[in-house]
Amino acid sequence: YMGDEEEEGRGAYVCEEKKDGTIHGSTYYLTQRSFMPCEDLLYGRMSFKGFNPEIEKLMIQMNSRCKEEIEVDDKMEADVSDEEMARRYETLVGTIGKKFLRKRDQRVLQDEDEDGNSNTRPSKKAKKKFLKPQD
Amino acid sequence: GRREAAEACVGQVVLPGDVLLLPAHPDEDGERLRLGAGAAPRGRLLCGPGLRRCGVGLLVTKCGLLRHRRAGGAAAGGAYWVDSQQKRYVPVKGDHVIGIVTAKAGDVFKLDVGGSEQASLSYLAFEGATKRNRPNVQVGDLVYGQFLVANKDMEPEMVCIDSSGRSSGMGIIGQDGFLFKVSLGLIRKLLAPKCEIIQELSQLYPFELVLGMNGRIWVKAKTVQQTLIIVNILEACEYMTAEQRKQALSL
Repeated sequence: YMGDEEEEGRGAYVCEEKKDGTIHGSTYYLTQRSFMPCEDLLYGRMSFKGFNPEIEKLMIQMNSRCKEEIEVDDKMEADVSDEEMARRYETLVGTIGKKFLRKRDQRVLQDEDEDGNSNTRPSKKAKKKFLKPQD
Repeated sequence: GRREAAEACVGQVVLPGDVLLLPAHPDEDGERLRLGAGAAPRGRLLCGPGLRRCGVGLLVTKCGLLRHRRAGGAAAGGAYWVDSQQKRYVPVKGDHVIGIVTAKAGDVFKLDVGGSEQASLSYLAFEGATKRNRPNVQVGDLVYGQFLVANKDMEPEMVCIDSSGRSSGMGIIGQDGFLFKVSLGLIRKLLAPKCEIIQELSQLYPFELVLGMNGRIWVKAKTVQQTLIIVNILEACEYMTAEQRKQALSL
């Protein structure tokens, strides 16, 4: 949205303004008509003492983006503990590994499972036949 | 006008026509860099408002105090600008301003931003707006947006979304509240990081504040009386010293 229209009319103007607001784009000087980059101004919408919680959240977000003073939250809780992560990975490796086995190896693996479990596979359900609509 | 080294004039009053000389800098081509003695600062020097580039240095175009910021952070290579005072706003691209809707002309709203021309705002420039889902904007509403196009050759255009399509706080400012106008210098003072006035006011009671770079401020507090107290303090604080302000706040 922001920069495309400027590219079109570039040749017509003597004082061309570029996408980031600089004029006379030379390699050494940057000419800016705005005070924002000079003085590092804060975001214009503010709310205090919880009057508008959304604006207060926005304040923290915008001002930390400008100043790059993001406070690192050391107390970040892990959603999954390390032990569980290790356990999950152990089994995960096996599961993904099976995917890449060749067909012969897969069948061997299946036989092993059957012997080990001694579970009879449940018989397949009878294929559903086409039922004619009854008049 | 006089010609002096830029560093010598920092913090002093400069007048239009003065030329500020800068230390030896590499040629603009970039290919013919002068190596060795007189190492120029890395990055590009930011030539801010009130200054213009001329042959040997910077030409002052506004009267005021010359300010300087060292290299590092947003202004890589350092920045020079003139801190001038004015009441009349000139639209600048990227500035966030408060506009008053004066007319609806088809697909476009006309906003009064305090400049020489009215700014235009398309109805699609709101978050989540489509051709079928138009924003509910009436004549007389207050809108907080930023300038997409603002130069001396064209009518200024505003939008209420940023480049990624999110509103990030811009859009129609809600009901109630109080809008008033102050000088542009005060707005910059209030928006400076760690502004004492704002910090002191925030201790009083809950309120909401929107500051537009065009000199307009909108305040909303729980009662009309609280709102008016904040308005009076903000209007008067430009010419009050710190002690006078603390006295006014303690009452």
